[in-house]
Amino acid sequence: MLLADFGTTYSKFINLADDAKPFIQETKTLGKELQIDVATGHNGKRFCTTYVNELTALAKGGESLIGAESFTLLDCGSRDIKYIRYENNTLADMGWNAECGASMGFTIELLERYYEIDFSSLTPPATCFSITCGVLGMSHIFDEITTGISATDAVAKFVKSIAINAYRFAGEPKTIHLSGGLCDNPLFTASFPCEVVPLGRYVLLEGIRRITEEQA
Amino acid sequence: MGISSQDLKIITTLADSAQVGIVGVPPLKAIKAIGTRTILDLDEAIVKQNIEETILYLPRVYCAILRTVMLNGLHLDLDAIIIDVGPGKCDAARHVATILSDKLKIPIIQTRNNDQQNFGTPLCEAKMPLMDKMQAICTGVQRPTTHDNHKPCVPTAGFWGVPPRDFSILRYFPDTTHVFGWARCMENKTPDNWQLETMTDNAIPTIFFGQSFCAKTAMAKHLAARHPKGLFLDSDVTTGNSTRAKVQAFLELSGVS
Repeated sequence: MLLADFGTTYSKFINLADDAKPFIQETKTLGKELQIDVATGHNGKRFCTTYVNELTALAKGGESLIGAESFTLLDCGSRDIKYIRYENNTLADMGWNAECGASMGFTIELLERYYEIDFSSLTPPATCFSITCGVLGMSHIFDEITTGISATDAVAKFVKSIAINAYRFAGEPKTIHLSGGLCDNPLFTASFPCEVVPLGRYVLLEGIRRITEEQA
Repeated sequence: MGISSQDLKIITTLADSAQVGIVGVPPLKAIKAIGTRTILDLDEAIVKQNIEETILYLPRVYCAILRTVMLNGLHLDLDAIIIDVGPGKCDAARHVATILSDKLKIPIIQTRNNDQQNFGTPLCEAKMPLMDKMQAICTGVQRPTTHDNHKPCVPTAGFWGVPPRDFSILRYFPDTTHVFGWARCMENKTPDNWQLETMTDNAIPTIFFGQSFCAKTAMAKHLAARHPKGLFLDSDVTTGNSTRAKVQAFLELSGVS
């Protein structure tokens, strides 16, 4: 059985019949004829037989991977951010910001490529911008560059701004379990003013794997 | 204040064929004065024109219900509008009433509904699809009489808030959803009843809905935070995918089938 999390930029797959190691592929390279048994993600509905709600997949993935009674799990994707908060094994809160939190991950990747930035060489700056959206936040970068600051430093402020915005969106917890491609961005994870536990890109995939097993 | 005798006279002297637009829950006296004349609820999306037309008169970032009122007012052939303002509706309705008065050549009657006679809330606790229930509550505003009897059901979920601009969000709730908030006040015909409006049932998973840019979103967020199984949700003109997914996931993860 093939499961997938079809993200905006990257899609993640796992074949339960194989050795169950997940793999990743750029969404833009997927063929239209692709058909998956169970899927989640922004692009999932058009590729699958059974679709799982993204927040449900995130929650189930968190239950499976974190194993704590209380936790906050934040997923930062290319297009949106969403979080789940559990208290004493009970759902306490959730949120999904697809409009005002739009394109944060995607914008960071675009900037990384355009300015050829190595995020592992950067430390979080002392200050940041007041932004709620990747697209609108770009104008802050361009404005900052006009003041004489380097593009790399301006982007670093932008990345920290995105992290602070996501932290507030998730309810300012003491510890954030982080999901999504931005787990691999050391500047982003270091920019949170709280403890960050990166869980990687496959949390939603783990969620639908667990749901599939529960229903079997 | 309720409604002045002068305004009541304006209503009663309208032609029998007159079309009267209402906004919010007008006082019972006003509804009785309208009598058999046609009532159009301007809070509902009646006309099909693009809501963006209203940006000539209202900011784009504004309550979608009041933008809808403006759009209906601009396009419907109305003989009068009765618009409730103040605690029973909202302060923003007063501003919209002023703008409508400037724009339209018909009587725009402002009321302050402080009716305290309780008509009951059988619909809010009945077992029926939530979209139908909400529509029945809204339609009930146009009648000065009590609602039909409905047996209360055992609730499995709750919806707190105002009737949303886009009812499609209600599709995902079970038929055993109880209605709270201002919608409950609407059925009771007491729109300015703070005690009733803030009443909740802590035993059931409840979505606290606010229409984006409506002042009541603050109370929705506050009550959701205090509720042991509450989720705050706001939505603007239409229900987006993420809003739909939030409702579905919340109900699913709360064990509501």
